[in-house]
Amino acid sequence: MRTFRVMKTLFRRDFLYSLYSLGYYVAIFVSFFVSSFILKNFLDSIGEEDILVSAYPLNYPLYITLVIISLYLVILSGVSISREREQGTLEVLFYGPVTPGSFLWGKYLKDLCLGMVALGFTALYFYLVSVLTNIGFTMGLVKALIMSIFLISCVVSFGLFVSSLTGRIRSSVLALVAILGAFLAIQFAYNALLGFEKESLSVPMLYVRQAMSYVFRGISWISPFAYLSRGLDSVVLENPLLYLANIGYALLYSFIFMFLSVYVMSKKGVKA
Amino acid sequence: MKSRLVFLLLLGVFLSSGWTALAQPPVREQLVYSLTSFNGSTYSKSFAPQSEDTIYLIANTNNIVNPRKTIVYYWPITRRYMAGFSTLNEAVPGKLEILQGGKVIATLEEQKYVLYYPEGYFSEKTIMYLNEEADAAHERYKKAMDEFNAKLKEYYEAMRKYREDLNKFFEEVRRRREAGETGPLDIPIPKEPSPPEFVNFYVSEPATGFVVNLPPGHYEIRVRLEDGTILEGSEKKLVVFTSRRKGGIGYEIIPGNRWTKRENCDDPSWIIHAVGKNELYFNPFTQEEYNELYHNKLQDPQNIGRIERWKWVHVDPVKDATLLFGRGKEVLKTVTRAPYFVKQIPGPELGYEIVDYDEDLKKRGYKPTFESYKVILGPELPKVDYTIQTVASENQMPLPKSERTIRLLRKAYSMYLYPLAFLPLAVGAGIVIARRARIET
Repeated sequence: MRTFRVMKTLFRRDFLYSLYSLGYYVAIFVSFFVSSFILKNFLDSIGEEDILVSAYPLNYPLYITLVIISLYLVILSGVSISREREQGTLEVLFYGPVTPGSFLWGKYLKDLCLGMVALGFTALYFYLVSVLTNIGFTMGLVKALIMSIFLISCVVSFGLFVSSLTGRIRSSVLALVAILGAFLAIQFAYNALLGFEKESLSVPMLYVRQAMSYVFRGISWISPFAYLSRGLDSVVLENPLLYLANIGYALLYSFIFMFLSVYVMSKKGVKA
Repeated sequence: MKSRLVFLLLLGVFLSSGWTALAQPPVREQLVYSLTSFNGSTYSKSFAPQSEDTIYLIANTNNIVNPRKTIVYYWPITRRYMAGFSTLNEAVPGKLEILQGGKVIATLEEQKYVLYYPEGYFSEKTIMYLNEEADAAHERYKKAMDEFNAKLKEYYEAMRKYREDLNKFFEEVRRRREAGETGPLDIPIPKEPSPPEFVNFYVSEPATGFVVNLPPGHYEIRVRLEDGTILEGSEKKLVVFTSRRKGGIGYEIIPGNRWTKRENCDDPSWIIHAVGKNELYFNPFTQEEYNELYHNKLQDPQNIGRIERWKWVHVDPVKDATLLFGRGKEVLKTVTRAPYFVKQIPGPELGYEIVDYDEDLKKRGYKPTFESYKVILGPELPKVDYTIQTVASENQMPLPKSERTIRLLRKAYSMYLYPLAFLPLAVGAGIVIARRARIET
């Protein structure tokens, strides 16, 4: 009960602090700006007498939005943990009733709630896009938005785990950017290579694609972005069982990484 | 001088031998598996050379797997091995063993088979018949061919007689006109005989092979020779797979402005985006979804594919149906299947137009270019969502997963997308300013 109260206090403090800072809104703006760019190009690509057959065109902007927002949240949390550790605030807190569990779960809930607020903005943005252009605010998009909550949870828990491993702000940010950036780069590069037909790829590129395939398979259960792709795929496939299974995987992933984060922080201590 | 001559001679010999080596790829005798595999709609023929260690087949269908000794050479241009079955095509005596988890689960003997093409050799559908059924099907085809040949003979005879009668007719007309006869001549005009209809189906020559029909799973195959030993190089992995999704309807769409570049709208989640000035011709198909790598390898084991990707395979065209074009629950138009003719526009400009195939074209001996369901999206249609759905003619019931959305986009408003992105920034600025004002007061 006491732990829960501490967690609630920490969550409230961090959540309001982020909600009142302009950086959070700038991150959402950047993600929407990129989405607008993608959607404008999508609309411009359809000629007067042409047709374009595709899956939900809002899925890709949603993916980009989620990546940008969750990266921002993770880096923000990473920086705040490292800063509190460097400045000794964490040590002071831990002399009191704060435990690694309440501290990290507070951070996790804060990020998750900020992610949900951002998803609210995203829903509104997509609705307005749909009203303007009839690009379609479908039931599939609503399902994808619900799925996104669990996928933000994956990115946040993974980010907190990396932050719990590192000590200083610089190393924390560098580690987060390097690891998450590598995951994203592998996923984008592999998907880009997958888009090419065999005939259009040279022999070395075919080998690169094969190698990337192995790497991608290797990280597909570790990278939070892979959960994001799988989750959105389950929406496209309209398979309720797969949809629920992906939610289950995301929850399991989050709990494992949160457990590991708490364990690492307990073992490592609070000193920088 | 002499040494230079010798050097040039040697260089010439070296280069010419090198060139010959490059031009003629090495040819080797090899044990391969000749495959006649069901690909979801028809049978495709391919072979698995020694370089491929896995054969892919669709589950619960009859497939022919035949070990053969043949000539194999590498063709660098297409980066694949080619088989010279016309040069060497030697059967391997023995039995085919199928293993799972290291245990032999079946030992197969060769069976007789034929391929039956119900709409002629180029039909999209093929059926395999085995043993007695194969003999019966081939007998039926032979009988039909014999009947056709007999009718053809009769036709040639009738044609010969017709030409003779025609000559006699003209001769009679000329004679009576020269004799001064005027007015209509009461001479019966000989009637041209019509040729017999060609046999509208085809059955391949009976052949023998190992018929593999297995449930989904991972297996191994090998050939056990008559002396009880395993034929070296005959071991291969066998992946038997099934479709991920089946029972839905996919569409091939022929856009009116580019009929040669067709689009597919196979996945039920796919949406047809348009701006609203389109003439679309829809061809519905029953379909199944397979793993791209597996299906590509099934069609040719040397193909490569992407295990992460899935592809829809059109199984059968849906002909006995109507297409409903509607908005929400309201049906705006019921479209029936009709023939169309692609007419080249005369003159220097390149182009064509798709016109209705009518009696006039029929009389002039033209055949329809394609048959389809035509939907016109006029600029007067409100820019909202529309649907198409295929319903069966016999019971007017919608075919499962045949509904697709046609979304007419409002392109003109796309310029407002960027200002929309500023929405969170405006909200954020408002919150931050309000908070600062509250703190200051």
